[in-house]
Amino acid sequence: MSNHLTKRELREQRRAERIAVESAYAARTRRTRVLRLVAAAGVALACVAAAAVASSNGGEPATPKPAAVDAGLFRGIPERGGVLGDPQAPLTVTEYVDLQCPVCAVAARETLPALLRDYVRTGKAKLEARTLHFIGPDSVRGARVAAGAERQGRLWPFLEAFYAAQGHENSGYVTDGFLRSVASAAGVDAGAALAFADSDAAQAPLDRANADAQRLGIDATPTFSVTRKGGRTQVVDAPSLLALLARESQR
Amino acid sequence: MIARAASAVVALCGLGIAGYLTAVHYTGGTPVCAISHGCATVQQSAYAELAGVPVALLGLAGFVAILCSLARDGETARTATAFLSLAGFGFSAWLTYVELARLDAICIWCVGSAACMTLLAVLSVTRMLRAPPGRPA
Repeated sequence: MSNHLTKRELREQRRAERIAVESAYAARTRRTRVLRLVAAAGVALACVAAAAVASSNGGEPATPKPAAVDAGLFRGIPERGGVLGDPQAPLTVTEYVDLQCPVCAVAARETLPALLRDYVRTGKAKLEARTLHFIGPDSVRGARVAAGAERQGRLWPFLEAFYAAQGHENSGYVTDGFLRSVASAAGVDAGAALAFADSDAAQAPLDRANADAQRLGIDATPTFSVTRKGGRTQVVDAPSLLALLARESQR
Repeated sequence: MIARAASAVVALCGLGIAGYLTAVHYTGGTPVCAISHGCATVQQSAYAELAGVPVALLGLAGFVAILCSLARDGETARTATAFLSLAGFGFSAWLTYVELARLDAICIWCVGSAACMTLLAVLSVTRMLRAPPGRPA
């Protein structure tokens, strides 16, 4: 038998060698890619873990410390049944809030002072609040204690004090200790307010807030409704409130 | 090639979302949100920034980096895309957990961005593993 290969056999042999080399190269490439992918996933996971830890630490609520409410803000304005201002005022402004809502706290800082100064103190409007409570359990507890403050004619100072000490949403900061501090800062009898919050009667303002919001199609906070005595109700957000009141008070 | 083109389209969508959220962050506005309240809650939470940098801006930078990595088609570029997409996917998963478990609020824009990152992770891993091996030297 001859050792010489025919041309055809030589071609076949070379082809087989090439396929073997390519297969080995493909397998090596696959292994390299899988290793690279595992390494990339590992580094990515480490980066995400570090970011999550940093994010968690940044997100931890500082222990909120209520400060005394600015006495001048509400001084001399009567509050009865949660209604701030002259009960006979032609315009009724109703603010729909959630005590945990950070935008509500912004509105309290940026919109409320002008609202009180220009419309409530002047007798053009009276102000009331509806405490919605959809952000979480802390909102419910806060709203029930707010109902206790309302019974003492101190709802608005309580809201202010709460916003001033507002913590991170649903982080569990709304403890009885926190609520006592807020109540004290607002000049509310904390023991009585918390006792009222535990009673069945505290649910009524929450149900009323839900019903009124549903009737007006309000599903975000803060939202304001403005009602002229005997007239229609208009719903606006915080940035549009003062402009609407300016128009309405000129009518 | 299809995975690369699809990745580019998804990354552009993500870029649009992150760009919008970044603009809203710096203009001090509130994102238009189809689900009540969630966007403002998420945007103004302590989790909206990481070491002082807005998370929306980090997302924007992530999508830009992914688009840059898609400009080339070598092994290194594919690995870079996979790494960036996996990191983006992981961080989006963390933020979604935060929204659901800690903030109890959902921002539809964040969900959109997370969906883009998820798609990019799937596409980039597929692209990396299925790319033709080339020829031995």
